[in-house]
Amino acid sequence: MGSILSLPWFDFTVSGVVIGSIYALMAVGLALIFGVANLINFAHGAVFTVGAYVGWVCAVALGLPLWATVPLVALGGGLVGAGIEYIAIRPLNRQSRIAPLLATIGVGLILDQIVHILFGANPRALPVPMPGWRVSVGQGSIGPIDITIFVTAVIAAAALYAFLFRTRLGMAVRATAQDEDAAKQMGVNIHAVNMAVFAIAGALGAIAGLLVGIYYNAIDPNTSFQIMLKGMVAIVIGGMANVPGAIGGGVILGLIESYGIALFGASYRNLFAFAVLLLMLLVKPNGLFAKGREREAEPMTGTFVIQSMPVRPPGWLLALGVAAAALVPLAGQPYLTQVMTNAFLYALAAISLTLIAGTVGLVSIGHAALLAIGAYASALLTIAGLPVALGLVAAAAITALLGTALAYPAFRLRGHYVAIGTLAIGEIVSLVILNWTSLTNGSMGVFGIPPLTLFGVDFFSTNPSYWLVLGLVVVFALLQTRLLSSHLGRTWRAIREDTVAAETYGVGSNYYKGLAYGFAGFTAGLAGAVTAHQFSYINFDTFNLLTSVLILTIVILGGLGNVTGAIVAAVLVAGLPEMFRVLAEYRMLFYGAALLLLIRFRPRGLLGSG
Amino acid sequence: MSSGALLSATGVTRRFGGIIAVDGVDLHVREGEFLSVIGPNGAGKTTLFNLISGQDRMDEGRVMLEGRDITNLSPRRMAEAGVARTFQHGRVFGNLSVMDNVLIGCHTRLRAARPRVPVVAPVLEILRALIRPASVRAEEAAMREEVRAIVATFGERLTPRLDEPTYALSYANRRRVEIARALALHPRILILDEPTAGMNESETVEMRDIVDALKRQGRTILLIEHKLDMVMRLSDRVMAMDNGRVIAEGTPAAVRDDPKVIEAYLGHATIGGGEPAEASLMPGTSRAAGGVQ
Amino acid sequence: MKPLLEIEKINSFYGPVQVHFDVSMSVPEKAIVCLLGGNASGKSTTMKAILGLQAPRSGRILLEGRDITGWPTPRIVRAGISTVPEARRLFGGMSVRENLLMGAYARDDRGEVAADLDRVLALFPRLGERLGQKAGTMSGGEQQMVAMARALMGRPKLICMDEPTMGLSPLFVDRVLELIATVNGTGVSVFMVEQNASMALRIADYGYVLRTGRIVLEGPAKQLLADPRIRGAYLGENVA
Repeated sequence: MGSILSLPWFDFTVSGVVIGSIYALMAVGLALIFGVANLINFAHGAVFTVGAYVGWVCAVALGLPLWATVPLVALGGGLVGAGIEYIAIRPLNRQSRIAPLLATIGVGLILDQIVHILFGANPRALPVPMPGWRVSVGQGSIGPIDITIFVTAVIAAAALYAFLFRTRLGMAVRATAQDEDAAKQMGVNIHAVNMAVFAIAGALGAIAGLLVGIYYNAIDPNTSFQIMLKGMVAIVIGGMANVPGAIGGGVILGLIESYGIALFGASYRNLFAFAVLLLMLLVKPNGLFAKGREREAEPMTGTFVIQSMPVRPPGWLLALGVAAAALVPLAGQPYLTQVMTNAFLYALAAISLTLIAGTVGLVSIGHAALLAIGAYASALLTIAGLPVALGLVAAAAITALLGTALAYPAFRLRGHYVAIGTLAIGEIVSLVILNWTSLTNGSMGVFGIPPLTLFGVDFFSTNPSYWLVLGLVVVFALLQTRLLSSHLGRTWRAIREDTVAAETYGVGSNYYKGLAYGFAGFTAGLAGAVTAHQFSYINFDTFNLLTSVLILTIVILGGLGNVTGAIVAAVLVAGLPEMFRVLAEYRMLFYGAALLLLIRFRPRGLLGSG
Repeated sequence: MSSGALLSATGVTRRFGGIIAVDGVDLHVREGEFLSVIGPNGAGKTTLFNLISGQDRMDEGRVMLEGRDITNLSPRRMAEAGVARTFQHGRVFGNLSVMDNVLIGCHTRLRAARPRVPVVAPVLEILRALIRPASVRAEEAAMREEVRAIVATFGERLTPRLDEPTYALSYANRRRVEIARALALHPRILILDEPTAGMNESETVEMRDIVDALKRQGRTILLIEHKLDMVMRLSDRVMAMDNGRVIAEGTPAAVRDDPKVIEAYLGHATIGGGEPAEASLMPGTSRAAGGVQ
Repeated sequence: MKPLLEIEKINSFYGPVQVHFDVSMSVPEKAIVCLLGGNASGKSTTMKAILGLQAPRSGRILLEGRDITGWPTPRIVRAGISTVPEARRLFGGMSVRENLLMGAYARDDRGEVAADLDRVLALFPRLGERLGQKAGTMSGGEQQMVAMARALMGRPKLICMDEPTMGLSPLFVDRVLELIATVNGTGVSVFMVEQNASMALRIADYGYVLRTGRIVLEGPAKQLLADPRIRGAYLGENVA
């Protein structure tokens, strides 16, 4: 008791409010965008990073004072925000609800890579001269940095309110958020409103980036997604499109994190954020201020997957393709074989995700979690003495069970909430791995994973390893194709097209989503397990958010639900860049551009969605 | 009356916020009866159907089907109990073929979909779908044959398009697919929500003949329809609703001429009802020759 | 009377469904014209076509002789067409004053908006007392008043009203009729889509009856009111 009471609670409160006010700045932008465009802007974190680096250029490289830096950062962020709207959102014209969300993921990757190219991958210091005094309050104290950040955030919020409530365009923004059709009938140009909102959100996000840089005296080009997720947690707490709610949600999140760190340690910080997110989605999936039950609109037909006929390559062509792939090692280029092994591991993961995201329609941004579960399960079991062959099967089964159980809460979510929910679940899995040190060895990772030896046969050297993975891809592609031609295939697709109509004809959608997750979990778990045995070392970050995004890109490129497409796309996306040095260096740029262009020009993917 | 009823709903009430969308409605359908529900926009017809078929939960009231209480069952349980419905704007599975759409209608009868063994049922269902023993293959073949037979009742409209995705079909054909899917459920009661919405005249006539044929088969049918010609021609009984309440019930002709029904649709019962002759439409006074076509 | 708005043989579609078949009608200056019809007759789609929310696939829509077919909605609003949408569609979280100002959003003559606000408030004195109230908290009748005042704030030549009496109690229906007459009295033409035929024809100059996408009946309001065929258009022909 004494130890808890003796903690510097005042200091934790101050830092909670300061960090919370930065989260609030992020969240306000996300809430504004969600309000007018009904979209979660995944590029918002990249704008934050851009803001931090514009701030570095102004304050450090040019030596400008803070009062000049803040407006310049806001300007830069505003321009980037407006650019996102113009390049990524407007051309899509709301073709499907998930398309703009995926487009913002692509833009985010591109912006991050540009920052990497310009400033390098390492963190930089962002020293801003501050007076040395601190005001003592009881046991704790407040310093000039705390005050500067809090005051800047309050001024930014006040400027936002002045815009929203004192200007004509601000009034149009609020009107559009309430009723877009009615606003249009008043003569409001919705495009202009959208661009204004993205610009404002960009300006606020950029200021947040600068403030975080000042607070920690460090800017890092690799934190975009993390900070964006914090903003997202804040708006889920506050109620999605609710601007004052977003401010409240940001401060609440800042305090929860700060107190959580005080009690449990810094590595739990993100776990709290995502636990809160998941709890909100489960208890109040539509936010704290959602209204009661309402009538659901009847769609004409399912509009989630673009209407298209998948390309069905003839059997001989597929057989020829497999035969050609089997001959790759005979080219005598071990690097090529290794690259292709890696690509086919991605193909295995993509086959499993295309079942979930494509056939059943649950667009998951947390698929890497299944790989991680499989990898850790097989690694830990085989290190404990289980033969590798059994370890692989056990890991696949564990992933099927655990993955389905973890994803179950997301089954009843709809639209964007599926994306948020799966993302949160994925992050939680990664954070549990990081923090459950007694089982997973924490941040140190797992060393000395046994090599791939199945029944005494070597599958760890380059060529056998390749053939094993290729064989798994072929087997699971065939199994999944067979499932898709059974009653399960039509039932899954019916759920995707129109869950209400499917339930009306007796289809238990949660049960069938579970079946799909089980089968996909088995496949993904196996992919993760094989990867672990190949690498011989894994840690919590081996399968991260970028992995999830990459697999999703592959699935979209191949055509949602298209098994053959997933394999072809995996070779193109995960294999091709490695063979050209330039592409490998700018990998994220390549992925981001691929995602953006695909959604814009070929949303059905290369081989069509099935 | 309720004693002989196949489906009987009593005191059905649904509120949305302060608005009472359906207000204490009683509805009884006998076996083999054709009952239509009419009323102006916003009368509460579709809400009532949603409550009866489980899409929405009623605040008060009770629904019995063949003596069994089915009040507020989930749509899935409703389907298993034998309630099949179509939707106002048509809800086919756009990317599925006509065959697959109708096969979904067979889902409640599919034995492959419900292995008897608990706990391992999910694994069994996947394994059966992968291995497909003879029993599963025979069942699937029989269902496909049945789907062909159902689809054949629409003449040559759908049979040549069995393998086409339904998004490629005309609107009228999609509505036919929806009805075929409902029939595949082997329903005890068939609920049709505006089957001719969005159809032109010839399609409407064709749909009317299809529904007429269903009636002749002795099926129990509940219909919402705005094209009152069809309602008048097919119904055994008509129920008119306005503002969530039943305002008239009886034979088609009686309901049609009920002043309360006319008022609900047109505002006042006196409208168009033999005002002075000088006000009748004179040729030449009107700019264009309007008139009923 | 010079035609202000002319609709020439439009054919509209909602997805695969044809909603209008060669629909033509015209609205003279300073007149009240109503478009009647039962459920799903295509009335509301006519409104959407005029406002540019859903362009017809063929046919033309002319405002003062200018072809406005295919124009984006803001441009049509600027050209002089305001709207009282179905179910009013007020900005419920915003004050009455802000709702009225939104009505003037598209206008370029910003300087005269304040004067127009005074003029509109003189027309609807009840609203003057409630300028600060959130529109969503008002009664249905008051909301209808705000919607009409908001439409007037655009200084329109024509106001399109979509089912202005729907969902209102009979008591309020008469009030809304007075409101429409008041609005029309300021010299603005009114094009009104209504299901309630007897109510609409009582104040309209001319009426059209739409049935499944076709104009089946039209004429001066007084004549339509007594025409037995209007019943048929709503309730179907007599079945022998």
